[in-house]
Amino acid sequence: MLSRVANNLFWMDRYMERSYGLLNLMKANYNSTLDSEDFSSWETIMKSYMGVEHTEKNTALSIIDFMVFDRSNNNTLINMVTSARENARSVQEHVSREIWLSINKYFLDISNPDFYKSFKHKDPIDFINELIQYHHIYYSVADVTQERGNAYCFMNVGKYLERILQSIDFLNVKVDSLKTMNNNLNESYFWKNLLVSIGGYQLYIKTYKSIFSIDNIIELISLNEFFPRSIKFSVNKLYTHVMRLEKFNKPHENNLNFMAGKLRNQLKYSNLVSIKKQGLKNFAYEIQLQLNDISNEINKVYFYQIIS
Amino acid sequence: MTSSLTNYDNRAYFGKYDEMYAQNNSIRPLYKQFSKILEKLSIEDLNKMHEFSKDFFLNQGVTFTVYNDKEGVEKIFPFDIIPRIINNKEWIKIEEGIKQRIKALNLFIKDIYHEQFFLKDNKIPADLIISNPNYLRIMRRLNVPKDIYTHISGIDLVRDENGDFFVLEDNLRTPSGVSYMLENREITRRLFPNFIPKQKVMPVSNYPNMLYKELKSLVNKKNPVIVLLTPGLFNSAYYEHTALARLMGVELVEGNDLVVENNMVYMKTAGGLKVVDIIYRRIDDDYLDPLNFKSESILGVAGLMDCYRQGNVVIVNAPGTGIADDKAVYTYVPEMISYYLSEKPILDNIKTFQLSNNDEKKYVIENIQKLVVKRTDGSGGYGMLIGKDASDEEISLYIKKIKSEPDKYIAQPTLNLSTSPCFIKDSLKPRCVDLRPFAIYGANGIKVCPGGLTRIALKEGSLVVNSSQGGGSKDTWILKE
Repeated sequence: MLSRVANNLFWMDRYMERSYGLLNLMKANYNSTLDSEDFSSWETIMKSYMGVEHTEKNTALSIIDFMVFDRSNNNTLINMVTSARENARSVQEHVSREIWLSINKYFLDISNPDFYKSFKHKDPIDFINELIQYHHIYYSVADVTQERGNAYCFMNVGKYLERILQSIDFLNVKVDSLKTMNNNLNESYFWKNLLVSIGGYQLYIKTYKSIFSIDNIIELISLNEFFPRSIKFSVNKLYTHVMRLEKFNKPHENNLNFMAGKLRNQLKYSNLVSIKKQGLKNFAYEIQLQLNDISNEINKVYFYQIIS
Repeated sequence: MTSSLTNYDNRAYFGKYDEMYAQNNSIRPLYKQFSKILEKLSIEDLNKMHEFSKDFFLNQGVTFTVYNDKEGVEKIFPFDIIPRIINNKEWIKIEEGIKQRIKALNLFIKDIYHEQFFLKDNKIPADLIISNPNYLRIMRRLNVPKDIYTHISGIDLVRDENGDFFVLEDNLRTPSGVSYMLENREITRRLFPNFIPKQKVMPVSNYPNMLYKELKSLVNKKNPVIVLLTPGLFNSAYYEHTALARLMGVELVEGNDLVVENNMVYMKTAGGLKVVDIIYRRIDDDYLDPLNFKSESILGVAGLMDCYRQGNVVIVNAPGTGIADDKAVYTYVPEMISYYLSEKPILDNIKTFQLSNNDEKKYVIENIQKLVVKRTDGSGGYGMLIGKDASDEEISLYIKKIKSEPDKYIAQPTLNLSTSPCFIKDSLKPRCVDLRPFAIYGANGIKVCPGGLTRIALKEGSLVVNSSQGGGSKDTWILKE
C-alpha cells in the first residue's frame, strides 16, 4: 500500500473520530445547559475544540451553528467531514464501496443548504442525533464491509489514537476541574451529563451503581477493560493494529511495537492507587508523551519514505 | 396522461439526421421497441427519472471539478436519460473502421520515430512533423514494447445529414470519458429495468477487465505491478481515474508516490519501495518527467523517461503519440491507411482545409461563415471559431490570427451533427450528438468496446459537445443483432 494512501486512511478515520467526539460533547453540553444558567462550559469547548479564545456568541444555538457549519475554522464539523471525505475520495480503491458511499453522503448532506435550513427548525438534540447517526452508519459499514487488511489497520490506528487523545483531554480538562468546583457535585444531573458526554453513563451505572465519585470516573475512563472509550481499551486496540501493520508491511527495523507494547503494559499494571500516587495530571501527561512518540514513529515508519 | 412522445419539434435542426425520427417524422424501426416504453411514460415520470439520475451520480461521487476564479466547484456531468441506439450493422462498420485507423496511426507513429518513410515519400510536409510541439525527439529510434504506441484511444465520430459516420478527431493521448460510458449504463439499467436484455444491448462493463488484460499483456511477467498515474484530486477527470483504478484493482498513484532509482521506477509503499512495471498515465507528455520535459512540473516523476528508454517500465500511452492526433496531421490519416495498409478507409475523414496551403487559406477566409476553424494543437473545444455563429468583429480578429500563423489552423465545413431526442425542461427536444467509442490496443490486437460516449451539445442549435463547454452525455446502446 502506498504511503500516501496509508496516511489518508489514517486521517480519514481520525477526522471521523474527532467529529464524533465533538458531536457527543455538544449534545451533552447542550443538554446540561438546559438545567443551568452557566454559559462557561461552551466557552471551554470553543477554546479546547475550536481554538477560539473569546467569542461574541452568547447562545447555545449560535455556538452549535458555528461549531457545525462555520467554514472559516478548520475544526468545525463541516470542515472535518469535508477533510475526511477528501481523504476517502483519494483512497476509493482501498476502502469498501459502502464506506465511500456513506462518507460521501454525509458530506453531500451537510454541505446542502437545505440541510442548514432544517437545522434552524429542529430541536438541537434531535439535530445533533441526526448527525451522530451518520457516524454510527459509518462505523457499522466499516465493520461489516471493510476487509481486515492493511487499510483497516491504518484506519483503526487513526481512530484509536484520536480516541485516546480525547479521553486524555476528558481527564485533563473535565475531571481535573471537578476538584476545584464543588457546588454542582451533589447534583446527579451534573454527573450524568459528564458521563454522557463521553458515552460512559450506562456502563458507569452498571459498574458503580448510582454512587458518583471522581475516583470511579477516573477508573472508568482510564482503566476499564470493556469500555470502548477507555484509555486502556483503546491502547489495546492500537497495539493490536500496530502489530498487524508490522506483519502486513514488514517495514525496516523500528521501535513501534516496543513503544505500543510499553504503553499497553504500563496501563496493564496501573490501578487507581498508582494513578493517584502519580497524580492524575502526571498520569495523563505521561500517556500523552508516549502517544506523541508513537505518532511520530508511525509517521517515520509508514508515511514518509526516505530514499537512502 | 400526455405521453412524453408528443410534440417532438425538430424544425430548428432542419436537414439534420435525427437518430430516432426519420424525415417523415415516423419513428425509425431501430427505436420502435424503445418508443413503446416512452409512450407509456409521462413528462412527470421523465422528470423523476432525471432527478433520480442526478442523485445517483452525486451519491456515487461521479463528479468533476470546474474552476471559476480559482475556486473549484464539484459538478455532475449532465446526463440525459434517453439512450441513443445504434444498430449492429452500423456498429460493425464503426468497429472495423476504428481498428483500421488505429492500426495505421500506430504504424505512422512508429515510422515517424524510426525510418520516416512517410516523410521521405513526401506523403506529408516534413515541417508539419518536425516543428510540431507534439513531436518528441526523445522518442527517436526508441523501440517501444510490442511496437504499440496508442494503447488507449477514443475516436470521435459524427453522423452527417445522410446518416453516414465520419471521423472528427482521433484522441490518442489520454482520452477521457470512458468512466461515463460505464456509469451511464449503470444508471440506464436502473431507469429502464429489464429492458436492456430484451433489446439485446451489448454490454460495456467488460471495459476495465479488457483494459487490465491488455495492459498486462505488454510485459512478459506473471503479475506485473500496474499503476494509474493521476495529476491528483484537482484534475477534472479525477473521478475517472479513481473509477478505473478501482475497477481494475490497480493502485492509483500521484507523481509524488513514485520515485526513480538506478533507472527503475518504484512506488513508495508503507512497507518500502516497490517496483512498478506499467504506468497507465493520465497526465500529458509535457508533465511526465521534469528532468526531460517541463522542468517546473510537479505532477510527474523525475527520471521517468530514462527508465522508459532503458525498457524498465512501460508508459501507456507511449509518449509522443500526440503527433498523430494533431488536427493538421488528421488530414493525412486516409493517406496513412492506404500507405501502410494498402486499404481504403472504412470511415471517412471530414473535408479539412490546411491553412498552411495558400489556395486553401484563401478559400477559408472568403468562406469563413460556412466553416469551423480550429487550432491544430487545440482540444476541448477551446480556441475555435464557428463561422455561422461568430460576429463580424470576432471573425476579423480571428482572420488576423490565422494570417499570422496559418500553419497552426485548419478549417472544416460547418458540421452536420446528427440530433437525438433529449429530455430538456419538460419535453423531448433534439440536440446535436457525437459518438466517442473507446479502443484498446494490446499484445492481443485491437479491441473496441461495444458502446461509447454519446456527447450532447445541450444548448439549442449548438455544435459544441465538450464537457468543459456545457456538453452532456447519454448512454449508447449497440444492439447485438
